[in-house]
Amino acid sequence: MISVKNLSHIYSNNDKLAINDISFEITKGETFGFLGPSGAGKSTTQGILTGLLKLQKGNVHVAGYNMNKVDNKRFNKIGVSFEQSNVYSKLTAKENLEFYRKLFDVPTREPEELIKLVGLEGKENDRAGSFSKGMKHRLTFARSMINNPELWFLDEPTTGLDPTIAATIKEIINGQKAKGVTTFLTTHNMYIADELCDRVAFIIDGQIKLIDTPKNLKLLYGKKLVDIEFIDNNEVKKETLKLIDDNDKKRMYEIINKYKIQTMHSKEATLEEIFIQVTGRGLI
Amino acid sequence: MKLFSTYIKEMKIAARGFYFYVEIIFAVILLVILLVAVKEESVSKEAEYLYNDIPSKITTYLIEKDINEGKARIAEPTEFKMKPVTFEITNQETSEVTLYEFEEEKTITVETLEQLDPETGKLTRTAYIIDNEEDMIRLSYSEGKIGATVIMSEEGELTYKYYLQGYETDRLVDLLYILHNESGEVLTTEMDNQVVRKLGFEQQLNNRENLLPMFIVFTGSLMGFFIVMAYIFLDKGEGVIKAFAVTPSAVWKYLISKMGVIMTTTIISSLVITIPVMGARINYLLFLVFLIVTTFASSSLGLLVASFFDDMVKAFGIMYGLIIALMIPAFSFYIPSFDPMWMRILPTYPMLQGYKEILLKNGDTGYVLIYSLVFLVSGLVLFALANIKFKKTLTL
Ligand SMILES: Nc1ncnc2c1ncn2[C@@H]1O[C@H](COP(=O)(O)OP(=O)(O)OP(=O)(O)O)[C@@H](O)[C@H]1O
Ligand SMILES: [Mg+2]
Repeated sequence: MISVKNLSHIYSNNDKLAINDISFEITKGETFGFLGPSGAGKSTTQGILTGLLKLQKGNVHVAGYNMNKVDNKRFNKIGVSFEQSNVYSKLTAKENLEFYRKLFDVPTREPEELIKLVGLEGKENDRAGSFSKGMKHRLTFARSMINNPELWFLDEPTTGLDPTIAATIKEIINGQKAKGVTTFLTTHNMYIADELCDRVAFIIDGQIKLIDTPKNLKLLYGKKLVDIEFIDNNEVKKETLKLIDDNDKKRMYEIINKYKIQTMHSKEATLEEIFIQVTGRGLI
Repeated sequence: MKLFSTYIKEMKIAARGFYFYVEIIFAVILLVILLVAVKEESVSKEAEYLYNDIPSKITTYLIEKDINEGKARIAEPTEFKMKPVTFEITNQETSEVTLYEFEEEKTITVETLEQLDPETGKLTRTAYIIDNEEDMIRLSYSEGKIGATVIMSEEGELTYKYYLQGYETDRLVDLLYILHNESGEVLTTEMDNQVVRKLGFEQQLNNRENLLPMFIVFTGSLMGFFIVMAYIFLDKGEGVIKAFAVTPSAVWKYLISKMGVIMTTTIISSLVITIPVMGARINYLLFLVFLIVTTFASSSLGLLVASFFDDMVKAFGIMYGLIIALMIPAFSFYIPSFDPMWMRILPTYPMLQGYKEILLKNGDTGYVLIYSLVFLVSGLVLFALANIKFKKTLTL
């Protein structure tokens, strides 16, 4: 569904490469997570894949279209939800969707149904300008499904939403997945990635550090962490050590020999911890 | 279909927004100014240039008679500086055309007679008595005022040969006749002998009508430039332009729909001003054609400028500069002596001139049509450029 080869991108007002020679493939029906801290290049990649940013260097094919020759008919098959919600504040929720659906040449979903789906029932006839940030975000998200896309781009779909609504969004994404929709999902929320994605890519400073399934990553890195709480000068300290790392191992012996241990247990690494292990950086 | 629904949506947004009403309210304010504060030209401020082709004794006699009756008084002689000028005069009876060419600058000092209302003693008109017919015609042409040669026929009747600008209403011509008929009581004036001539192709409108081209250019054609930018920047601010970019709909449809809104408001606001002033006296089809093509060109320019910037603040510098430049022809339009060649390349120049031709009774339709074509073509070029630019940066 998506094939990216040696893609690089640079913004004209920025001398650093925003994307630095990345390559990956996404197969049909797959939910692909693009994970990385702020400024890693996630939105830039989505921008290029959706054609909002001009392809500068590399080979990109999306939904059967070569992105060198842009043909906007492809958007009949594509849905895009944006990081920053962008709806007409002067139009009501329903008018926003009614107008949008008319721009497509393919059968579209009913605005009311979508509004209900994202929990905005009863707000159909309120102007989007009166919506909270989260509500606008949900409307933007709902809008991205209006043309029953085969390929779905989601940039931070749950950011800024309260946990119940985030759970609803997750459910919707899972529902689409069950229908065979291919999803390119950008996030810095590892839990979302873990729960939704078939495969994830770790991106940092415009480069992909690894691509694998969450399950594989956990097998590789999981159960190999030890949390130790110990007392040093009447103070409780806590360290997390990797059992596969020689320095960490030495440190563990040192702690066991030197200090009074309070608790110590091994645990399965979260995707976030794995990210830190792999990239040496946090996700914030 | 996409285009139409986009237009409807844009109209909805515009109607719920602010700029739409600004434009209409602005038009209403201008209309009120025109109707309340600007009087249609009255004869009282008129000046006339007279050449008396009659024995000077009779002239002196007539003037003295008027002075004694409280109908006139002698004022300070007036100095006129006349520039080199070339023009044609058409004799309206014979259709014979005479070409006048004056290559030298010339300064003359002429006798000035202020004509008064005998009852109130108020100044009604100023007559300049020139002792040479050519100078009289030349002044009449360059000052845009009525000129006349006073002739005495063999039967001893006073006859007036008028040099008109071609814009005078029948009412004014009648009035002239009555005025001169009165002053020529002693020696009967014969209207039949009067030859009315049209000076060159220069024509003018009354004060109120004369302001109209500028008002239409500013509320209509040029306003399009601003408002389209405002709409684009609103969309850029909300990011909706990106949402549009990921639909199968073409960018040009988006741009055209914006323009559709501008056209709608422009047509409404221009008609709000024009209909009450001009009534049914003008060709509204021609008016609309010119309004639409000029608005198209200026809003295309607005789109192109907007494509280079993220928001109004960043675009402000260039916007301000453009507006000032585009306003310059307005000065020339009202100060005829300020008419440098370079100014004619500014698009507002033909816009003002075009509207003037439309408002004139015998305006130059050819001029309007040629410039309609020019504006249409340049509008298309600008639009194409804006479209290319937006395709690239819609998404910035
Ligand atoms: N319009 C732009 N102009 C210049 N530089 C940009 C622009 N947009 C992004 N960048 C730069 O490109 C790099 C990647 O940005 P991008 O928005 O793709 O990151 P991201 O991974 O989506 O971050 P976030 O998690 O904050 O959304 C950053 O260094 C950023 O500063
Ligand atoms: Mg981003």
